[in-house]
Amino acid sequence: MTAGSRATVFARFARSIAALLQHLGAQVLARLAKLGQASVMWWLAIWGLPRRGDFGLLVRQIYSIGVLSLIIIVLSAFSIGSVIALQFYTQLARFGAEDAVGLGLALVLLRELGPVVTGLLFAGRAGSAITAEIGLMKSTEQLSSMEMMGVDPLRRIVAPRLWAGVISMPLLAAIFNVVAIYGGAVVAVQWLGSDPGGFWSGMQDAVEVWEDLGKGTIKSIVFAVFITWIAVFQGYDTEPTAEGIGRATTRTVVLSSVMVLALDFALTLGMYGEFK
Amino acid sequence: MSADAYIEIRDLHFSRGTRKIFDGLSMAIPRGRITGIMGPSGTGKTTLLRIIGGQLKPDSGSVLVDGVDMARVSRDQLFELRKRMGMLFQSSALFTDLTVFENVAFPLREHTPLPEDSIRDLVLMKLNAVGLRGARDLYPSQLSGGMARRVALARAIALDPDLLMYDEPFTGQDPIAMGVLITLIKNLNLALGTTNIVVSHDIHETSSIADQLYVIADGRVIGAGSPAELEVDDSPLIRQFMHGRPDGPVPFHFPASTLERDFLRAASGAGNRDTRS
Amino acid sequence: MMRMRTVEISVGAFVLAGAIAFVVLMVQVSGVSLETDSGAYKLYARFSDVAGLRVRSKVSMAGVTIGRVAAIRVDTTYGEAEVEIQINGNTGPLPIDTGARILTEGIVGARYISLMPGADEETLQDGDTIEDTQGALVLENLIGDFITRMGDS
Repeated sequence: MTAGSRATVFARFARSIAALLQHLGAQVLARLAKLGQASVMWWLAIWGLPRRGDFGLLVRQIYSIGVLSLIIIVLSAFSIGSVIALQFYTQLARFGAEDAVGLGLALVLLRELGPVVTGLLFAGRAGSAITAEIGLMKSTEQLSSMEMMGVDPLRRIVAPRLWAGVISMPLLAAIFNVVAIYGGAVVAVQWLGSDPGGFWSGMQDAVEVWEDLGKGTIKSIVFAVFITWIAVFQGYDTEPTAEGIGRATTRTVVLSSVMVLALDFALTLGMYGEFK
Repeated sequence: MSADAYIEIRDLHFSRGTRKIFDGLSMAIPRGRITGIMGPSGTGKTTLLRIIGGQLKPDSGSVLVDGVDMARVSRDQLFELRKRMGMLFQSSALFTDLTVFENVAFPLREHTPLPEDSIRDLVLMKLNAVGLRGARDLYPSQLSGGMARRVALARAIALDPDLLMYDEPFTGQDPIAMGVLITLIKNLNLALGTTNIVVSHDIHETSSIADQLYVIADGRVIGAGSPAELEVDDSPLIRQFMHGRPDGPVPFHFPASTLERDFLRAASGAGNRDTRS
Repeated sequence: MMRMRTVEISVGAFVLAGAIAFVVLMVQVSGVSLETDSGAYKLYARFSDVAGLRVRSKVSMAGVTIGRVAAIRVDTTYGEAEVEIQINGNTGPLPIDTGARILTEGIVGARYISLMPGADEETLQDGDTIEDTQGALVLENLIGDFITRMGDS
């Protein structure tokens, strides 16, 4: 290789690295800018003073976000609870420890599965609905016309949904846990013949209000905040076209789901991190 | 500022990204009259309405609405100002989760402390003015396009605004609906003394109701005057626009090399590379 | 479009269901008891080694849970651990020469404190210390002892 061509190859290589870095930098800046916008929206919406009549909006949103998610939550809870109980029973029976099914089920649900699975289902059902709704309002200029009439869409459209999400999801997670535990009880006690006394007392002995229920509820509140925030922002920020709304809805589901899992990891480490 | 201009725009500059939308635009909208703003597609006519309404801030230049500088207006001032403006959007922008009645009642409920009885009377009056009082319990999805526009109009006049802005009101309407809308705009102007801005590229309809017209192209005003004056204006772009000629200053062909070159390239198998020469 | 009344009713029912779920989780699942525990009292016990014992570990007598470990502190002067035990109200008083040992559930299970009853008529009062204690058996020490003894023989 001549010195000349070596220099050319090197120059071309350096140029592509530079282009890659520039692209990366631009991406990072764009993401940060979006995050900034999302934070501003959040701030303005949450701290906007509510007015009389806004309560009706909140109630409507709790219906649309919470009540309409009940079916899928309850169905999933029952199946997941029964399946886990079945699996636990099969394994524990080999060590003669069937009585631990109750406590294993309760701990796994309260600490992890309850908040996480509810979060994922919520992101898929309620999150995508919120994004689609707001996106549609944006593309039919309803948000614009509201602004032009001197009404703040953040107060009227965004804030009720944010609060409704934060209120509904922890309730859904609690309902999920209850249905799943009782579903598991049906399988373990009724079907597989585990001793009900052992099932429930083993559970009550091991499950603690703050450690398990309290921290699990904190998780579901944190998830609720992030999922609703992402859903609302994606709808608000979407391109006002049909494909734009479709993309925004997909982004909501994917981003929220990833967020739930990542947050779960971080929160679990933080809350239960002392492994003796 | 001249005594009877409701809106005065001076040397407006506005860009979106890298695209310059307004490059030194100046115009005066007279009070109590119907002013038409026309121009080829994509010249930013809707953007102009948004700037007047305070949704967008100009990069430079001044936009005075009834004496208030829209570039420097505070949030509270803007809030108050918007109560005196009504805007009719291209897509009617009715709230799909509310009935016709509730849509028209919306600005009244938000901005006035009036009791429900008074609101009910006002809503019925406004709906009556547009001829849709009987449709008050329908939902927007049950309305035709023309009816939806009339409901949006009723909503826009709910607070008896000083300024009404119409964004492409004639687009896609059948002749009857068009006639209804034109009559309404004229009658409202006469009855309420509002200042009206109609943004459109329908020359015939706009000319029939406007007292004054502005033609915008390339980010600035290229023609102004009464419809009769512009009809006989001899500048090439205005002539192409007013008479609907397919070719002229706005070219028919999207920029490309000559046809012979394209055929030759295809024959030699060089593919479809976009080179403008 | 749902009528407002139906919406309000279902939202109310939803919130109520959620609240009930929480109560069920607290009572039936976590075993929180709703009556106040009158008659509960505190005892202290000092051990040379509390390896594996945790706050909320069981305290039992004859296999019956009669309390929980409330706190574990270390006394750096004597190199001992001081365990604060909360005895349930329905247990009743314990003799002053009750003994406490730290045992393991099964072979590698959780640690708990087992109380052996004494014979004295005098009973332990709220805040008293249990004198007779034996620390946790640490597996590594046992194995070490065993190997040493094997080596000796």
